[in-house]
Amino acid sequence: MKDTLTLLSRVSAHPDSRCWFLAWNPSGTLLASCGGDRTIRIWGKDGDNWVCKSVLGEGHQRTVRKVSWSPCGNYLASASFDATTCIWMKKKEEFECITTLEGHENEVKSVAWAPSGSLLATCSRDKSVWVWEVDEEEEYECVSVLNSHTQDVKHVVWHPNQELLASASYDDSVKLYREEEDDWVCCATLEGHTSTVWSLAFDQTGEQLATCSDDKTVRIWRQLGTGEQGSKSDPNWKCVCTLTGYHTRTVYDVNWNHLTGAIATACGDDAVRIFEEDPGSDPLQPTFSLTAHMPRAHTQDVNCVTWHPKEPNLLASCSDDGEMAFWRYQKPE
Amino acid sequence: MEGTDDLFDDIIMCEQRYRGEGYEEGLAEGNSAGESEGKQYGAVYGARMGSELGCYLGFASTWRLLLVPASDDRQRRKIKALDSLIAMIRNFHSDDPTNPNLQEDMANIRGKVKQVCSMLNIQPDFQINPSAKGLSF
Repeated sequence: MKDTLTLLSRVSAHPDSRCWFLAWNPSGTLLASCGGDRTIRIWGKDGDNWVCKSVLGEGHQRTVRKVSWSPCGNYLASASFDATTCIWMKKKEEFECITTLEGHENEVKSVAWAPSGSLLATCSRDKSVWVWEVDEEEEYECVSVLNSHTQDVKHVVWHPNQELLASASYDDSVKLYREEEDDWVCCATLEGHTSTVWSLAFDQTGEQLATCSDDKTVRIWRQLGTGEQGSKSDPNWKCVCTLTGYHTRTVYDVNWNHLTGAIATACGDDAVRIFEEDPGSDPLQPTFSLTAHMPRAHTQDVNCVTWHPKEPNLLASCSDDGEMAFWRYQKPE
Repeated sequence: MEGTDDLFDDIIMCEQRYRGEGYEEGLAEGNSAGESEGKQYGAVYGARMGSELGCYLGFASTWRLLLVPASDDRQRRKIKALDSLIAMIRNFHSDDPTNPNLQEDMANIRGKVKQVCSMLNIQPDFQINPSAKGLSF
């Protein structure tokens, strides 16, 4: 089973620091990394090697925790512990910081661009989730401040094709938000994890959501009933599967491959794992199998795993050891 | 002999009787102490909440008067957000301290204040953080 995940290359992305997060641009030609050294690095492929194309070092005063590409690929948003979010515009090979979003009281933990490209969400240790709107003149305006969580909000992600936002928190819950009469409201709370929820990811259709936690489990949630936008009744999300017993430490990240449906996880036990749904399993009670396990994928905690948006078997991971690694996944026969 | 029985009964039952009386007295005393403590606590926190809401209302009403209505979309959205904040404060159940939505409504108002401050691009001189120390909410 070990052979199903092959190391392609390993790069020291943020030397002497932690590498916190990776994000592929929509076309998959560039990879952005961010770290404890307060920089963002943009990586591109040169032959078989991944080389650093640019370093965005001037924007933040503290750790850069997450980065997110706009759907058009021309903008990059970065969330930092300095309480700000920077918007970078790509100009040929260079990136220029065009706006700094302020408002959070302390560390911004995550940022995510909505599929439409006109909305941006940020979340913070101040327990709030902010939704920002971008107009044609590239002005960013806050359209809502959501105080539904009772603790630090770790991560935000958007539904792949609806304006539905999901957030994960230190309060062990996941909350979903939608727009209602010019404001945003919390429309669902997903409870089940028994400790901090670190990350979450929608599948390609947006009908399922995977969440990972400090409780060492991954949970799969499915939307039941009609969840069409504009309908009066809110969609009901139910936990349909819990992956227990595979991870020996906190699961820090989960990523759903939108081309193949495979789920990758990043764990505090330094390993990267891949899960796939068993063929013919009931959608309402799906079962998943561990199809690849790479122990010691890194020498320290694995912080992030992300599938390439176009190449179905290419996976990138990064770690507290400051390195990022590229993997080829071969589905076992 | 009945009198003797009563006498013994009195002695045998006295512990239970005194315990019962003590319980009643203690309960009454505790109730009244709790009530006054609760009143004090309620007064302090109610006043704090009232002063916070009043501050937001004054802030929002002032800005609402300062902003000139315009066809400009951005200005229109600012006015709309201010109107929504003012409505939220006015609809707050300040006369019903047992209302279960009180905390949630307060959280929504605080969120709206932050949004309005961000839209107006101002750094408020009041702190919107209930756990912060000093002169803050």
